[in-house]
This record gives sequence, C-alpha cells and structure tokens, in this order.
Amino acid sequence: MTGGVTHGALLRTYLGPQRASVVVMAVLLLCSIALEIAEPRIAAFFIESVQLGRAESTLVGISLVFLAVAAFRQLAKVIAAYASERVSWTATNAAREDLAAHVLSLDLGFHESRSPGELIERIDGDVNQVAEFFSSLIVHLIGNAVLVLGILGALTFVDWRIGLTFAAITLLGYFFLAQVAGVATVKWEADREQSAKFFGYVSESMRATEDLKSSNATEYALSRFHKHLRSWLPVKVRAEGWGSAIWVVLSLVFTAGSAFAFGYGGFFYQNGTVSLSGVFLIIAYATMLNTPMEVLRHQVQALQQASAAIRRMAELFGHKPTILDGTRTLQKGALSVRFDHVTFSYQDKKILDELTFEVPAGTSFGLVGRTGAGKSTIAHLMFRMYDPVQGRVLLGEVDTRDATLSSLRSQVGFVTQDVQVFDATLRENLTFFDRSVDDSLLLSVLDTLELRPWLDGLPDGLSSRISPSSLSAGQAQLLALARVFLKDPGLVILDEPSSKLDLVTEAMVERALDRMLAGRTSIIIAHRLDTILRTDHTLVLSQGAVVEHGVTADLLADPDSHLSELYRVGRVLQ
Amino acid sequence: MKNDSVPPTLTFLWRLITYSPWRYLAAAGGWALFHLWPLLPGVLGKLLFDVLEGRAAPGITVWTLVAIVVAAGLARCAAIIGATVAWAGWYLRARGLVQRNLLARVFRLPGAQAMPTNVGESISTVRDDSDAIALMGGWGFDMMSGLIFAGGGMIILLSVDVKITLIVMVPLAIVLGLAQFARARAYRIREQSRDATAKVTGTIGEIVVAVRAIKAANKEKEVVERLRADNRVRKTAMIRDKVQSLAIDSVFNSTASLGAGLTLLVAAGQMRGGDFTIGDFVLFSTYLMQVADYTAFMGFLVRTYQQSGVSFVRAAALLQGAPPMTLVDHHPLHLRHDPPPPAPYPDVEPLRELEVRSLTHVFPGSGGIRDVSMTLRRGTVTVVTGEVGSGKTTLLRSVLGLYAAQDGEVRWNGSRVDPGDFMIPPRVAYTPQNPALLSGSIRENILLGLPEDGLERAVQMAVLGPDVERLDDGLDTEIGVRGVRLSGGQVQRTAAARMFARKPSLLVMDDLSSALDVTTEQELWRRIFATDATCLAVSHRPAVLERADQVLLLKQGRVIAAGPLAELLETSADMRMHYRLPRE
Repeated sequence: MTGGVTHGALLRTYLGPQRASVVVMAVLLLCSIALEIAEPRIAAFFIESVQLGRAESTLVGISLVFLAVAAFRQLAKVIAAYASERVSWTATNAAREDLAAHVLSLDLGFHESRSPGELIERIDGDVNQVAEFFSSLIVHLIGNAVLVLGILGALTFVDWRIGLTFAAITLLGYFFLAQVAGVATVKWEADREQSAKFFGYVSESMRATEDLKSSNATEYALSRFHKHLRSWLPVKVRAEGWGSAIWVVLSLVFTAGSAFAFGYGGFFYQNGTVSLSGVFLIIAYATMLNTPMEVLRHQVQALQQASAAIRRMAELFGHKPTILDGTRTLQKGALSVRFDHVTFSYQDKKILDELTFEVPAGTSFGLVGRTGAGKSTIAHLMFRMYDPVQGRVLLGEVDTRDATLSSLRSQVGFVTQDVQVFDATLRENLTFFDRSVDDSLLLSVLDTLELRPWLDGLPDGLSSRISPSSLSAGQAQLLALARVFLKDPGLVILDEPSSKLDLVTEAMVERALDRMLAGRTSIIIAHRLDTILRTDHTLVLSQGAVVEHGVTADLLADPDSHLSELYRVGRVLQ
Repeated sequence: MKNDSVPPTLTFLWRLITYSPWRYLAAAGGWALFHLWPLLPGVLGKLLFDVLEGRAAPGITVWTLVAIVVAAGLARCAAIIGATVAWAGWYLRARGLVQRNLLARVFRLPGAQAMPTNVGESISTVRDDSDAIALMGGWGFDMMSGLIFAGGGMIILLSVDVKITLIVMVPLAIVLGLAQFARARAYRIREQSRDATAKVTGTIGEIVVAVRAIKAANKEKEVVERLRADNRVRKTAMIRDKVQSLAIDSVFNSTASLGAGLTLLVAAGQMRGGDFTIGDFVLFSTYLMQVADYTAFMGFLVRTYQQSGVSFVRAAALLQGAPPMTLVDHHPLHLRHDPPPPAPYPDVEPLRELEVRSLTHVFPGSGGIRDVSMTLRRGTVTVVTGEVGSGKTTLLRSVLGLYAAQDGEVRWNGSRVDPGDFMIPPRVAYTPQNPALLSGSIRENILLGLPEDGLERAVQMAVLGPDVERLDDGLDTEIGVRGVRLSGGQVQRTAAARMFARKPSLLVMDDLSSALDVTTEQELWRRIFATDATCLAVSHRPAVLERADQVLLLKQGRVIAAGPLAELLETSADMRMHYRLPRE
C-alpha cells in the first residue's frame, strides 16, 4: 500500500472483494427508504378520504396498506444492517491484519520510539473506529443522505417554493456542518492522541508492578497517572465541545425547517393554495427531515473520529521499512561471515567505525567487549535489523542487502538476552504459530535439549499452555535454544547464551550447544570468558573498533593480550 | 453468568455520580431539556391544525406558533452546549476515578501476581470497561428524561383519547416483556464478544512487544495468521452480539410503527364522525414516531445497563478480592494542581535480624517453594543458588511479598510482618532479574519520586557513571519505551541504582550481574561488599558464593543444603556438582 491511504483507497481495498454483499445491502436500503417516503403519502391519502367522506371499509383498507408498508420497511432495514455488519467486520479484520503485518515489517528504529500501548491503540483502537466507518457510516450516512433527497423531492411535489426553501436550509445547514466538522476533526485527533499517550503510560506501569511495588514507588506511579489525566482533561472538553457545535447547527436547521413548514402551511392554506392534507404532508415531511438529520449528526460525529483514525492509519501505512528485500537466496549449510569496512550510526552516534573482520564457514567466533562496545549491533547487522551506513556485511559472500529476508532470517539463528514467551501453547511458542511444523520434530529437539522430563511433567504435553509468568528465566532460555534448533540455521549468533542459568542447566545448555554448533558457523557474544574457550577466534571490541583479533588460544597464551588481561580479571569472579 | 458478589449497577452509579454532582446535575439538566423537547412539535402541530380548522382558542395565530418554534429551538441549542461541556468534564472524572481505583488496587496487590490474566487483557479492562462504566452515568439521566418524556407524552395522549391510547400501548407492553425475556441471553453473548475482543487486543499486544523476536524467527506470516484466527472468533461473536441488538431494536421499532398504523385503523370511524380531528391525528402520529424512537432508545438503555454489568464484573475481577465498590471509591484526581509529592520515608528500625520460617508458595502446575526457612543477620551476605526452576526467584518474591505467601512467616527483628507492605524501601530494596523501566529519563527511573540527594551515590554504586557520561544528555537521557535505548546491562544497573537510591538496610538482588561484563560486574560486587548492607542475592558466581556468609541451595522448591560454601562443598554432593572450580 502506498503512502497516501485515502478514504477512497481504503474502500476499494477492503470493500472491493465484498461487492455482492454491498450491492444487496444497497438495494435493501433503497427499498426501505422508498417505503419510508411513501408512508406520509398514505396517511395524507387517508386524511383526504376522511374529508371526502369515503366509506369506512376504504379507510380500513388504507390503514392496512400503511401497516404492511411499515412492517416490510422494518424487515428490509434489519437485513441491510446485518449485511453491513458482516461487511464491516470482514473489512476491518483484514485492515487489522494488514496493519499488524505492516507494523511487523517496519524497522526496529520505528518500534524503539513507540510504546506497545500506543501501537495497540493504533492497530486495534483506531481500526475499531474505522469499523464504524465501514458499517454504520456507509449504511446510515449514504442511506440518510438519499432519504433527505427523497423528502426534498416530495416537498417540491407539494409546492416548488417549499422544496426550494427546504433545499436552501439543508444546503446551508450542511455548509456550516462541514465547517464545524473540520475543526472538530482536528480536536478529536488531539483527543485520540492524548488517549494513546495516557494508555501508553497505563500499560507501561501495569507491566512494571513488580518494580514499582518493590521500590515503594506506587504513589509516584499514581501521581504520574494523575498528571496524564490532567493534561487529557482540557483536550477532551474541547473535543466534546466542538462535537456538540455540530448538534447545534443541526438543531438550528431543524428549527428553521419547522418554522418555515408552519409558516408556509398556514399561509398557503389560508390562501387556498393547498388543502389540509397538503398541510399535513408539509408538516410530516418537515418532521421526517428531523430523523435522518439526527442520525446524520451521530454519523458525522463518528465520521470525524473515523477520519482521524484513518489519517493515523494512513500515517502508519506511510512509514516505510528501510530494510528492503533482496533477491538472492543464501546457500544452505554453514555460512562464512565478512564485515567489510562497516560503519554504523544510530541517532547521530557512531556505534561501529570501519569495522572489518572475517569468520570462515563452520568456525566459532567470540565477541568480547564492554557494554555498549557495539556487540549487539554487530549481531543486529547480520540479521538485517539494521543496515550499515557504510561498508558491507557479507554472509556466504552475499551482501546481506542482496539476500532475501526470508532466506537470511531462516539461515541465521539468534538467541537474544531476553526471550519472548507468548501466552499460548508450548507448541505455538516453539514454532511461532507455524502449524506446518511436525510434532515429531519438536519432540526430537526437546530430546536433544534434554527437556523431555520437563515436557512429561506438563499436563497436556506440547499443547500445554505456557505464559511468560509460568516459565523461569532458565526455561525461557532453553525455549529460545529450541526455537533456533528448529530453524536449523547455517549461522548461529548467541548473545550471552548462559547468562541466566544455574550451573546444572548451564551444563545442559553446553552439551546442547556442542551438538548445535557442530557443522555451523557461530558467533558468540560473551561476557563470561569461560564461554570464549569454545571459540576458534576472538575479537575484542571497544567503542565500535577492533582492539584485538586473533586465534583464541594464541591470545590467551600471550600474557600481554587484552583477552588474557580480561581473563585474569575474570578469574577473580569465575 | 452473573457474579453475585457484584452489587447492582445502580449502587455503583450513585457513587460515581456523587463524585462530581454539580457537573452531573448540569449535564443532566441540559440533556433532560434536550430529550423533552420532542414533546413540543406534536403539540404545536395539533395547535396548527386547530387554528386552521378554527378550533383553537382566540388570539393564537399561525405566527404565534412560529415564534414558539423559534424560541424553543434556540433554548435547545443553549442546552446542548452547556450539557456537553458539563458532561465531558464529568465523564473524564468518572472514568479517571475508576481507572485510578483499578490501578491503585493493582499496585496494592503482590507485585508479581497483580494481574489475574495477561497484561494485555487487563489493560483492555482498564481502557474499555472503565469507559462502559463511566458512560453509564449518561445512562442515568437519559433513563430519567426518557421516563419523564414517556409519562408526559402518555398524559397528553390520554387527554385526547383514552381508548386509542390504550390500544396502542398494549403492543408496547408486550415488547417490553420480550426485551426482559432476551435479557439473560444478551448478557452471555455480550460476555463472549468482550472476551473475544480482549483476546484480539492481547494478541496484538504480544505481537508489538515481540517484534524483534518475530522478525528474527522469520515468522511474521504465521503470527499474523494467529491474529487472523482470533479475529475470526471475534467477528462471529461481534456479529452475533450486533444481530441480537438489531433484532431487539427492530422489535421495538416495528411494534411502535405498527402502533401508528393501528391508530389509523382504530380511529377511522371516529374521524369520519369528527370526534377525532386531524389535529389529534397529527399529535398521535408525531408522538408515535417519537415514541417509536424512544421505545427503541429505552430498549437501548436497558441493554446498555445489562452490558455495563459485564464491564463491572470484569473490572471487579481485576480487583482480585477487594470489595467491588472499591472501583468507585472517592479519591482526589488532582486535576487542577500537581498531586502532592509522596511522603518522605519514615524513620524505621534498622535490620538486626530477618527470619523466614516455613515459607511456602506453590503454583497450580508445578514449581514454587515449600517450607523454606532462613535467618539473615545484619551485615551478612546470603546467596541463594540452585538449578533452573528450583524456585530461587519465587523465594525472593515471597520474602518480599511480591507473591502472597501461602504458608509460613517473615519476622523482622523478631516481630512478624506482612511482607507486601513492610519489605519495601526504606527497609528493603530489590533489583529484579528482568527490570521493567518506565518511559522517561534515567534520572526519573532511578528516583521514582525520591528527592535528588541520594542520586549521585546511587549512580556511583551501580557503576553507571561511565555510561551516563557517554550519553548526550547524561542522566536526563530519555530511555525510550521499557528502556529500549539502553543496553541490557544498562537497564540492569539503572535498576540497581534505583535500589541503592532507596538506602535500604537490606539489599535483595535476583541475578543482578547476569547481563554485565566481567569488569563492570566485579566492580559492582566490590562496591556492594564495601558497604555494611545486608544482602540477599540469587547468584551462581563462584566468587559471590565464596564471599557469602551462608549459601542456600534450592532444589525443587526446597532448601537441600545451607551454610558457608566450604562446608557445603564437603557435605553436599549437589553443591559439588553445582560449583565449578575456576578453570586453570
């Protein structure tokens, strides 16, 4: 989807596939409108018949027709509304899925500047408002617009001057309505913005209860809640105030309409131009104009909110991933890695400076350095979470920018420091909801990781529900390893693989790693020097530049090397 | 599924209304005027025909009626503006109050088990259910005006013709009976659609939190597929919910408009005789058009009332045991001035001895701790170790009251305490394994409302100084959402600084150094050991274990060995397996 998502484009994209339902909906809607306009005509005919002194049986016949029309109109309305509800949910579900997929495709830089609460509000809250746009707005807004036109036509039929006057009142009314609605949309947008910030904070503080509680800072957290609420209040009142200005305009339109209907009716009757039943028609239609106007008022209000939501959706769709897909497929099997004069900056700060190194396929490579030295960035570059500002990152001698993202990310496995556990089954957690993965494969991986006893202890085996709170950090770590195992990648990046494990589990993981790393290239970001001992080569990094690079055993043997210096310091702790 | 422990919605509503009664009254007055206004056109319409047919009182002309129409219209506009502004003010206060009370309750609960379901669903309750509850305030005066409107309309109609009025009212009574009948069903289906909605929100929440992991796993499609499945369930539930609403609406609507036809049918004879004038018919048909709308409106109000009951039940569930009325307890919202600063810490008795007796907290499936006892004397270091899932974190959380103890007790200097409210700063401070930071600056995250005086020392203790120096804005650097702009080690040390800033006499640390590099870690421990603070830490680091005055070895939730490391290495085979000598 392109940057400019207009209402029209949205309609085409999401309503196009449901053309048939939309047509059925429209036909039923037009039927019910025609019948609605017919009703006062029937009543007027009744009055005329009374005045002409027609037989009671005729009058009864007319009332029965009236009843039938009323019943059928109701039925048509319900079916149309049901159809619109279906259309709306089908369309907005698709929009929600597209937005989620789009958000997933965006760069990490985008996500780092937005809270999850804010994005939930964008993908769910905003789309819910757009749901209004699809269902009730299209049915009611267009339906009632047609109804208004029909009523104006009927009034013109009584007398052209009356038709003209009401047309003028309606047009003037909608002109002011549009003006007021324009301002109100902006105010509503500000309101939604505040709402998103407010709930961003609420969500964040609810995720931090353990920290807040144990820091005796819940009072403080509440006071920040109060501040957010306080800055929302004036914005909310302004938005609602402008929203009500729309009602005022409609109310004025209706007042003018009634005044003219009464005036014209009285004047023309006393003139002898129209009969009493004609006056009845004028009054009845003028009153009928009230109902669609009231509905339109509601709908225009919802339209403001929906337009604000659509604008934000468009803005979200407008964010483009800078990481673009390549065309080359990475070969299977162990991958070589080469950094060729790679420079990387983040928010104007240089993280990596002309970094060059090489890891032959099938070897093991250690990265050592202080926090912030650029180790995680190196990992992220191999994954194409970012692209280098200058230089090239080559995997299997293919520039990462030329490789397809899917082959890249299935060929590279990454064990991160914090593991994402979903509130879902163990199977879904292992496969990331990929249903094509066979259970036997999952079981063999769990066997390799010596997790079979744990699995057997779970109530429903692979179908047991697990959640972030039910797994210990160590179990989560093993889950992360299992996920990488399943991918069978040619390059494995381990970010502090055993950081949160006790020694027994660590031994378990070490054995698993021995098996996993065999026949693959591995890059290990290690804080513990013990871990370094399993690598062939080591690179010591400081502030984005190479301090030392060589065969691990050689560096450790040289008492003057940085690595052996670090190792000596580390021994105090290890 | 009605929860009996939840008091009737009306009781809630009354407490909510009395939170800001004047604003509510202003809104109610304005809306009442707005809702009652439709009584006028019918009466004026009848008068017009009476004037035209020469039946009206002398002195009333067509132009008198036009003047009344204009004056009433202008009065209505004034009512709309006044009522809206008053309502917006009341609504945000009422909703804010419910949200504040929900949050305050969540914050009072044991910190690590504060939410009954996943966080996304709890957030959905704080967002949507608080809205449904506050909107019920509008329901109050809508209902009131609706009843007055119906009553006034009935009196006017009865004064015109009793027989016709009654014949029209019978179908309406039947409709109301039907609506009552549909009530139980409405409740259930509404609950399903709310749950399905919460599930979708929860899934979207998980997706946006896990973006990096999902990208890394190359499973974007599969994850969206999962959202699609949740979406489908929600669509079915929502359509059923809506169709039911539509069906009830249309029963209301059509019964009333069929009533209008009925009037014609019944009045046919009388109109021929001239007992029932055209003016009377205009009054009836105008009112019936509105009564139709109003009956539907009342039906809508009945449903809103039922549906808001669901929101109350969900909100009450989030309270986890507190009386449901806590939701609408009156508390200041500080909307005009900043809230008062948190009270300074009281002077407390420094720790001499902490005793934990038979502490137990087990989880439904497996895991947890059973019957754990230990004693910490002032100035000592106690290290808890054990394999994955052995209950180390659970032990710390239970001691701190972040989990409610199921059995056992915690004694501070000999007296039994309630850990949740007692084992907090300034007595105890804690660094969790995966600290959660708030958006804002490093400074705000360390202080969390404390005065600045301990900041420098805390930063220095946590070995955060060099990192802060390298950041452009120093301590005022915005850390981004959940601290994403910091590295894992920086997040952990910010949390450690937060702990030190509270100057506790007991430090509790869950694998504090897990994301740190060797030199930083060594420095951090050196600084901790240099103070006289009492320490309780989870760690596997041999150097820390060696320094410990006592080591507790956990296995499957029980302490299987306790004492100084040297002793344990002699007596416990498990400890020997656990402890790895430095490689030579």
